[in-house]
Amino acid sequence: MSEPRYYDVRCVRGEATLIDIDNGVVESAGTSFFDRAVVRVLGPMGWGVLTLDHFDPESKGELSGALASAMRLAAITGDRVELGEAPHAALPVPALREDPRTVDLEEKTRLLAEIEAAARLPEVVNTRARYSESIDQVRFLDSSGNEALYEMVRSGFSIMAVAARNGTMQMGRESDHTITGFDLRHRQALGEKAAETAVALLDAGLAKGGTFRTVLDPKLAGVFTHEAVGHASEGDHIREGNSVLAGRIGERIGCEGLLIVDDPTLPGYGFEPVDAEGVAVQRTEIIRDGILQAYIHNRETLAAVGDGVAGHARAEHGDAPLVRMSNTFIENGDATRDEILAECGDGILLKGSRGGQVDPGRGVFQFNAEYGYLIENGECTRMVRDVSLSGEILKTLHNILLIGNDREMHAGHCGKGGQIVPVSDGAPHILLSSATVGGRGR
Amino acid sequence: MNTEELLERILAEGRRRAEEVEVFCGEGIGISAEIKQAIIGVAEESRIRGLSIRTIDHGRIGVSGTGDPAKWQACLDAALASGRIADPQEWHGLPGPAEIDRKPLSADPALAVDAESAAGLIRQLLEGASAYPVEVTGGSAGLSRSVITIANTKGAYYSMERTHAGVSLETISGQSTGYEFASSPFLEDIDAGRVGEQAAFFAAHSVGGRDIESGAYDVILSPIAAAQLIGTVFLQGLSGKNVKAGRSYLAGKLGEQCTDERLSLYDDPFARGIGSTAWDAEAVPTRRLDFVREGVLQCFAYDLRTAYRYGEQTTASAVRSGGGAPGIGVHNLIVDGPASEIRDERAVYIHDVVGAHTANPLSGDFSVEVSNPFWIEGGEFGEAIRSAMYAGNVFEMLGEIGGLGNDPRIVGRLILPSIRLNNQQIIGK
Repeated sequence: MSEPRYYDVRCVRGEATLIDIDNGVVESAGTSFFDRAVVRVLGPMGWGVLTLDHFDPESKGELSGALASAMRLAAITGDRVELGEAPHAALPVPALREDPRTVDLEEKTRLLAEIEAAARLPEVVNTRARYSESIDQVRFLDSSGNEALYEMVRSGFSIMAVAARNGTMQMGRESDHTITGFDLRHRQALGEKAAETAVALLDAGLAKGGTFRTVLDPKLAGVFTHEAVGHASEGDHIREGNSVLAGRIGERIGCEGLLIVDDPTLPGYGFEPVDAEGVAVQRTEIIRDGILQAYIHNRETLAAVGDGVAGHARAEHGDAPLVRMSNTFIENGDATRDEILAECGDGILLKGSRGGQVDPGRGVFQFNAEYGYLIENGECTRMVRDVSLSGEILKTLHNILLIGNDREMHAGHCGKGGQIVPVSDGAPHILLSSATVGGRGR
Repeated sequence: MNTEELLERILAEGRRRAEEVEVFCGEGIGISAEIKQAIIGVAEESRIRGLSIRTIDHGRIGVSGTGDPAKWQACLDAALASGRIADPQEWHGLPGPAEIDRKPLSADPALAVDAESAAGLIRQLLEGASAYPVEVTGGSAGLSRSVITIANTKGAYYSMERTHAGVSLETISGQSTGYEFASSPFLEDIDAGRVGEQAAFFAAHSVGGRDIESGAYDVILSPIAAAQLIGTVFLQGLSGKNVKAGRSYLAGKLGEQCTDERLSLYDDPFARGIGSTAWDAEAVPTRRLDFVREGVLQCFAYDLRTAYRYGEQTTASAVRSGGGAPGIGVHNLIVDGPASEIRDERAVYIHDVVGAHTANPLSGDFSVEVSNPFWIEGGEFGEAIRSAMYAGNVFEMLGEIGGLGNDPRIVGRLILPSIRLNNQQIIGK
């Protein structure tokens, strides 16, 4: 059998801690262990990938056996894969303000319980808080002699409150996740906020579906950036012909002044010191001044497509890397929130996110707000619930009338190809001249 | 050390340190081939062996897991440490051994986990897709075989083999996309050629769609679209844990009419599906569980811990996702009822929806973008609809049924036909 043209090994070993408190009861609080490796080889044509547990790349026997297995897999591939050249380097991982490993499980549980207790406001019938922490020790090496070794500590929590009145139930949810250390202290305010949202939603009306002038708050505008632009700019979708952004580099696809960036170097929840192919991470301006500038790539899609930047390969542990976003955002403009509401006149303000989804080939996205307010004469009036927004990527970016100056980033998780990776996204308030809002009000 | 010896050793050690111990072990191998455009670009093999330990001591439940069975001692320590922090609860013991039929329910002896077989399925997908003028953008074929074993200190010890085959294909024509898949424990259930043809049909037939006016229309949800909405919302409402915690719309509605009377929903662990099993993830023998019989809500799903806590009986509804701690779920949820010719009268056919996971799991309210909507009439697909949103409420929707199709299929852990719904709200663009 021929030698691989290239191989790499990525081992992620570590532990995951979860605490789950439901209605004041500590349901579970414990730690699990993982040690997964992914061995990739490039055969005469495409990839052979082997994933296995507790693999030791230092062992010559284990490595050569894994490479041989992966080469046998690669034999069925027919697509000649080339790898683009990209710089190999790793950033230092930001220091932890407080290392969660120095806080024992009892204390973590007690602090989480305080946040959960803070959500028990009148009319709240259920509260649930979860803490998650993962310690990943990542080791990368490839056949070109590149190596990387680092440790990432991610932790965070979520708090959900359910309020009920006369058979109606509503929920509020808040969360925060970080790479910069233990973050459970003095966070009761988020518990209260989740509860206040749930209670307020009991009095909210149903939004009427239709086409409206629409203001997105920073959290939802961040999800919009991620769903409507980020996924469609991923090099694998471009390469497969499965994105409406394919072939549009240099084309105006959004309003003037619009700057959309994916930046894995920022110390947000999507930070990576080095990508999953050992490539140096760098800030990538996807859209600048409304013009499509670059796709985000791994080495394979960089070679196949061009027009962009490698260093965007990411993987959940035990899975082969895919092209992924990291910290994705719309950069600030200069409008204030009040100016945006005034300019909106009559329309709808959508706030918070229950997630979204995109079909990049069709160029259609959908995402759901946690709640919203009708805007009448530039003022927020009635609260509405269960509102979502859908639109077409190529139209919606032209429909941005104003970009705010109050950008915020929010941590979250993104699913693609069965893998979940930590990301953050953000934006300032933005005003859309028209958007299709889905709601059940008639 | 083989699995049996390993489990015995863990139980022996665990028994010295806690009143009860349970070990769940999964090991398996999977092979998949992935296509980029119409060529195989990646072939992947995944080998997994992991175990999950649960300890119960004075009502305190601890859990831990590891992907390295050699480190079972650290895992047992972590489970015990975890139990010391959990609040104690009412607990009446793990189940002992029971007489069950140990014949594997979801293992296909004919299914070969090898790269050539996966490549063969890919060829069939592509051949099927060639029936229509579309580009293939992606797709995959996967085959796997695994053995899961559970043992506890009460003497229960069950092991079962499982196989799985799955294919999917994505296509595009202009800006119209199409997606189809199939999944089953049995290779003979997978018609990869048909999946390829359908994925291509949906992209090809969606070209040149016309706008639709906002309004109320009769709608037919394909099994995929229906599974997305029912799976996101209705199943959560059936969880006994959500019911007791005040998080279920269905709480307090036992014995009440909660869907159209033609509709029945039951979990059949012995059906031909992805989750078939004679014992649940806590070693409790499974049985058919009728959640909704002819529209009337009959019961909720419980695992041992929730049942013990609230004075209920377990319904053998414990499942594990990814080999972790057990939680409440379904094995094979079947949506059933009298089938009729639901495609005769004009309706909007919805093949899939975008964003079902954003539905409100408490109230059931949703508004989603629809994928591949067509007019359908006289049993035939007619003109495509360009783009639309669909807003509704999952609980109310199941009371607005116009009929069930005669096309049940496996979609994840659900087995269901297409569903016709009256007077649903479509938002045009």
